[in-house]
Amino acid sequence: MKKKLLSALLSVAMLSALLTGCGDAAATDSTAPAAEAPAASDDAEAAAATGEGSVYLLNFKPEIDDQWQALAATYTEQTGVPVTVLTAADGQYSTTLQSEMAKSDAPTIFNIGSATDAQTWDAYTYDLADSALYNHLSDKSLAVEYNGKVAAVANCYECYGIIYNKTILADYCTVDGAVISSVDDIKDFDTLKAVCEDINGRVDEINDALGTHLTEAFASSGLDDGSSWRFSGHLAGLALYYEFLDDKADLTAGEGKITGKYLDNFKNVWDLYTNNSAASKATLTSGTYNAEMELGMGEAVFYQNGDWEYSAFNNPDNGYEVTGDDIAMMPIYFGVDDASEGLAVGTENHWAVNSQASEENIQATLAFLEWVITSDEGRSAITNDMGLSAPFDTFTGDFAPNNKLAACANEYAAAGKTSVAWSFNATPNVDDWRADVVAGLVEYTCNGGDWSAVETAFVDGWANQWALAHEE
Amino acid sequence: MEKSIKKYFPIFALPTFLAFIIGFIVPFAYGIFLSFCKFTTVTDWQWVGFKNYTRIFYVNGQLDTTFLHSIWYTCLFTAVTVMVINVIAFAIALLLTKGIKGTNLFRTVFFLPNLIGGIVLSYVWLMIFNAILQKYDMTIVTTQWTAFWGLVAVVCWQQIGYMMIIYIAGLQTISPDLIEAAKIDGANSFQMLSKITLPLMMPTITICTFLTLTNGFKLFDQNLALTGGNPGKMSQLLALNIYDTMYGTTGWQGVGQAKAVIFFIMVALIAVLQNKMTTSKEVEN
Repeated sequence: MKKKLLSALLSVAMLSALLTGCGDAAATDSTAPAAEAPAASDDAEAAAATGEGSVYLLNFKPEIDDQWQALAATYTEQTGVPVTVLTAADGQYSTTLQSEMAKSDAPTIFNIGSATDAQTWDAYTYDLADSALYNHLSDKSLAVEYNGKVAAVANCYECYGIIYNKTILADYCTVDGAVISSVDDIKDFDTLKAVCEDINGRVDEINDALGTHLTEAFASSGLDDGSSWRFSGHLAGLALYYEFLDDKADLTAGEGKITGKYLDNFKNVWDLYTNNSAASKATLTSGTYNAEMELGMGEAVFYQNGDWEYSAFNNPDNGYEVTGDDIAMMPIYFGVDDASEGLAVGTENHWAVNSQASEENIQATLAFLEWVITSDEGRSAITNDMGLSAPFDTFTGDFAPNNKLAACANEYAAAGKTSVAWSFNATPNVDDWRADVVAGLVEYTCNGGDWSAVETAFVDGWANQWALAHEE
Repeated sequence: MEKSIKKYFPIFALPTFLAFIIGFIVPFAYGIFLSFCKFTTVTDWQWVGFKNYTRIFYVNGQLDTTFLHSIWYTCLFTAVTVMVINVIAFAIALLLTKGIKGTNLFRTVFFLPNLIGGIVLSYVWLMIFNAILQKYDMTIVTTQWTAFWGLVAVVCWQQIGYMMIIYIAGLQTISPDLIEAAKIDGANSFQMLSKITLPLMMPTITICTFLTLTNGFKLFDQNLALTGGNPGKMSQLLALNIYDTMYGTTGWQGVGQAKAVIFFIMVALIAVLQNKMTTSKEVEN
């Protein structure tokens, strides 16, 4: 008897839990007059009544989430249009986007990384050809065009190359037997290699002469998931770039078959990195190396990465010895056309507008984006708070990018060098292809295997993934 | 009373049944349906028939062995962890029911690892492993076997305590009378273990092997955090392989879904078999 009463009670408890669970959503709007909720819903209702719609940005860069939240709040304050900003965790963007897109309140602005993304989300990208955003874009090649429409527009551009400690390198030139007499002498791969080998070869002697505490020429080239993209993506990008250039293919859309004709150059640069570093080759997969810190603490002179590293070095909270004034960037001299090679300039950050959102929301979104790139608040937030280099013609004067590594790209361009395009944006099934290339690099570098593993992954893998990604 | 319970049975069962339908049956059926579709978001699909299933094994006119590799790798992993976890957990449970000093402290300590989340636990272990392996110029992902034993170590460390608690509970249900009777009859400790304890523990063993078996097959967190599937995709267990297909390959969400269906069928079959096998050995107390 007692048992039955108990089970009856349990059933009732479960039923009530279920009912409250279901009733919750409906209850907030109608029966909670004192709570904060109505304020928000009033806003939404007011906005809907005036046909203003709402904006929902799914942010790609976790490091600037706070800045976006603040900017969104400012916009809502000024116009009454509600702006939601949600940031996906690092490396979880596609997962988050996929689940958010299936909801009825789907993001109205989302990130497109490359032509491949544009293909995946083709049904969801709104043609931005007539938008203010596209009109203000100063370099139209920074838009992603797919299926006859402007699918996405870059919201920042970045550059990568070899970041170097110019203070130490300048001092090195004064050491007896230095291979170069000025940093400007490094103009090609061979000189770079000679300098690296010299520094790495007599690191103690140089430390004694300069009072530095170097341990290596090149910061570690970690092959763990947190760092391997620098090589399977960025470094491989140069091999792709020169091949596309030769084949007269679109530099960022690529071609279906590649031969890997510049893989030897890739190998030379890779050997340069790994042979002139203190990191043990066999343990590059461990994930315990921190290349940024090695450069930051003055242990390394060179470090392949991009201008987004500038804020890390320029931020005193990180406790680095090296400051933003100590560093500069040089091209990754690839041994192909070093005389005219500049930094690699491009982006993986493009705004796309969700074409399946309601018309009011699309209009509200376009208005919001225009405000971001034309208003003082928006421009200041992007340049000063987020530290991005925006590719729009509205960013002049006070709002011009102030990233010193990005400025290097402009200097090389001004000196008549050709900026290298981000050809790796053409990579079909990016994650799969890169994983295979990294596996090849691990085999070659860590396990003393053959370079052919990289070649196979690079060339055959490309054709394979291309066929998969571009069928139908 | 009996009658009225029968009468109101549907009303009492309804809420749970509804929840079960909404939370389990519908997503499950929808998931199977999606495995026959090409889709970007789950509400936007296009029927493609069995194409997703053939693609699991046959891509671009070539046999693709990554899924097969992760099937046998997972099976091996599960076999090893089921053995190790159950044998050690049972042994510790035996020790900790002997009434040695500090029993409660030991039980708590052994159980503790289970309270830490898989991701955090694996990152901590990753540091430990790599720090040790660095001396031998290796890392946890040097080969698929270092990754394998690393995973085994972490998962065993985490689950032994949990299974131990279940075994202790089981051991405590064995009537002291039986043990005393066996002692009087002159049984030695090995005979007591094999003739009294083990047969009476079969229901518990069923539960524990079932739990470790399914845990082994479904393992994801530790795999993601400890090895990330590296080197290459050689240490990808099934769950991670499915996740990777779903989100890593353009337009392959359906293939990931198809893999998940195969995965379900496999785990269900093996779990049913295991249940049959161990329950058949159970005896009445």
